[in-house]
Amino acid sequence: MLEFLGGVQAIMTGELLLVVFIGTLLGIFVGALPGLSGSTTSALLLPLTVTMNPVTAIAFLGAIYCAANYGGSITAILINTPGDPSASVTAFDGYPMAARGEAGRALGMSAVASTIGGIFSVLVLVVATPLLSRFAYSFGPPEYFALAVFGLSMLGAVGGAGALKSLIAGCLGVLLACVGMDLTTGVERFTFGLPDLTDGISFVPVLTGLFAVAELIEQATRLDEKVERLPMAAARLPSVADFRKAGKSIGIGSVLGTFIGVLPALGATTAAIITYNEVRRFSRHKEEFGRGAIEGIAGPEAANNSAVGGSMVPTLALGIPGSATTAIILAGLLVQGVRPGPHLFTEQPQFLYAVFGSMLAANLIFLVLGLFLAKLFAMITLIPNAILWPAVLFCSVIGAYAPNQAMGDVWTMLVFGIVGFLFRRHGFSPAPLVMGLVLGQLVEESLKQSLIIFDQRWMGFLERPVAVTLFAVTIVLFVLPLLFQGYRAMRARAAR
Amino acid sequence: MARTFTGALRRRTLLASAPLLAAPAALRAQERFPSRPIEVVTHAGVGGGTDITARMMMVQAPAEFGQELVVVNRVGGSGAAALAYAASKPRDGHTLILVTQTHLLTIMRGRAQGIAYDDIVGVARATEDPQVLMVGKASPHKTAQAFLAAAKEQKLKFGTTQVGGVDHLAVFGFARQAGIQQPTIVPFRGGGDIAINLVSGNIDAALLNPSEPEAQIRAGDVIPLLTLHEERIATLPNVPTAKEVGFTSVHATVRGFAVLKGVPEDRLAILEEKLVKSMSSPLYRNYLDSTGQARSSVAGRTVWQAQLDAFNAEGREALAALGVAR
Repeated sequence: MLEFLGGVQAIMTGELLLVVFIGTLLGIFVGALPGLSGSTTSALLLPLTVTMNPVTAIAFLGAIYCAANYGGSITAILINTPGDPSASVTAFDGYPMAARGEAGRALGMSAVASTIGGIFSVLVLVVATPLLSRFAYSFGPPEYFALAVFGLSMLGAVGGAGALKSLIAGCLGVLLACVGMDLTTGVERFTFGLPDLTDGISFVPVLTGLFAVAELIEQATRLDEKVERLPMAAARLPSVADFRKAGKSIGIGSVLGTFIGVLPALGATTAAIITYNEVRRFSRHKEEFGRGAIEGIAGPEAANNSAVGGSMVPTLALGIPGSATTAIILAGLLVQGVRPGPHLFTEQPQFLYAVFGSMLAANLIFLVLGLFLAKLFAMITLIPNAILWPAVLFCSVIGAYAPNQAMGDVWTMLVFGIVGFLFRRHGFSPAPLVMGLVLGQLVEESLKQSLIIFDQRWMGFLERPVAVTLFAVTIVLFVLPLLFQGYRAMRARAAR
Repeated sequence: MARTFTGALRRRTLLASAPLLAAPAALRAQERFPSRPIEVVTHAGVGGGTDITARMMMVQAPAEFGQELVVVNRVGGSGAAALAYAASKPRDGHTLILVTQTHLLTIMRGRAQGIAYDDIVGVARATEDPQVLMVGKASPHKTAQAFLAAAKEQKLKFGTTQVGGVDHLAVFGFARQAGIQQPTIVPFRGGGDIAINLVSGNIDAALLNPSEPEAQIRAGDVIPLLTLHEERIATLPNVPTAKEVGFTSVHATVRGFAVLKGVPEDRLAILEEKLVKSMSSPLYRNYLDSTGQARSSVAGRTVWQAQLDAFNAEGREALAALGVAR
């Protein structure tokens, strides 16, 4: 810890702090814009960092990474368009809050939860990286399969549209995850001969379609309605009571996000989704979820930012990146001549602590900026719909096209806009679909890989302690509420 | 009526003046190539390994060419989208494709929409990353000889990426050349996952580029056994080559620049010269060094074309044998 403080001191040079500040500002900006993500930005700026000294370069990339994850929530809350895939869950409850005129409350909560999650994970990174990095080795395909099943076990419960409808939407999501070339056979599935579908359905256009385009169509059907808006309420920040209510969610999000972030195959998006499930499971106000629950923002936002610190663990200690952005940070490290690995912690601790310190600084900077800008950004919800939503569509089209420069992605977005609109009309929630899409690929691939490893013996799973534990937790958490319900019903009957 | 007349008139004036305009343009083109920014098309998304190679090369290239270079990312169809984009452009040397073995496989499998292998003309090689046979530290086979002997007796499990992809073909070719049993393939999403599963013992072995599990090799968690390259690799001086063990097996992950057939010979020569020159810059060399790739990666047309041809021949045969060709 003392060495860490030394590292923090090293960052206190004005120049480095300025670089971190610029990185943070840039990160929030690109994170918020659909189509520009933290990973795209750091890739574009990678050649620029080559000319910097190693600490400055990594501090800059790290600041962009931290801030972009937070920035994604701004547009998710304000206009139902996740600026970053990891913020898609934030839109589930953030947008309903903004639509109610509580944008400032939602944005403020997102900033605070993100910062707490981010700082928690950096502290874990400082204390436990060498220990945690070995943990990544104990996660093979069978363990990932168990984790994916755990995540999917809540499929019927999310969305608040009733178990049957949620399951239908979830299965559709899993089915969509099957599109593309199958990893284990090399055969194309459901691509209809379209080259755009060979690599599967891209995640970002589906999200933008389901959320933003669907909302645009929905708004278009209610053009003649006058919406009453309260300018002052929109900019109000969360109260102490809000934080008391969300404290548990932030805690769950920080721990789960760090844990999932450490696993190289999973990232911030999965962390946010699994956290959303768990926060809802342990909430006393389950009925609020999907309708603007402040806990539904706090948990996932804490999780996707703590996943940032978590994913730096395998990157720095094993040289194995856990996400697209850490892959670029890794490339940045290598170009600077810094070789990642366990030895980094004994040979170059000063360097590491400066990096951690800059991530910490980035988190604090976006907290201040976030709270300050929340009031300003909240005003976006006051823009008349006739101007706001066409502008959103414009941004969405660019956002869908930009990452892969493929028109196919724009069509995907528009198709899912219609799907999202029909979903709403018929009382389905997009939440389980998104969950199925994210976890579907993982559950299928890890199962197939496991079976190859086990020589097609299903019993092989029982020989893996971590997998068995995860399965047991899934079953217990799944069955307990049913038992409780039965017990309560019996008591009620006995009392009568 | 009047409108059509002016329209026709305008067209005629344009036609009449066309040779006048075209003549100096043609002259200029002969004097100076490139005359406009060069596009570098890659199938990798922004931040992918191939994309980073393109961007590292490009730091020096604009000064050499006297023109800007622009990376165009056409993700999709395992290179098909990138090839289709290049095919939509004039074949005047202003469009470079950053080609990998993946592109060639896509062409072999008939998924490149009208582009045949003969249409690809190699210009310069950018990276050559040799494949190395590796096992986890828990493996009972600590030497290449012991491993090969065991692999002849039993069917081992090899980690690769996509089934039917480049890594899979390399494993297939290696197994044949080494005379071992064709292994069971366990596919993963990337080299990092493969390294982790080697350490935890979920798979018996894998062919990996030496930089991928570098931290694991240093920590002794992953043991490199055999280099599938003509000579030993500088970063792994104690690992014998296949030739030293008694058979020929050369496999590498390669990336390089290519154009579509039809670009004039003099322009090809300019492209080759300037690309090789800009990849000899200290910055690019540093990039090669830091990612564990040999400086001899950078090579001109003859070497690169020969390598492409060899992979094309081997790949076709392997795809047919594996039954994944379509």
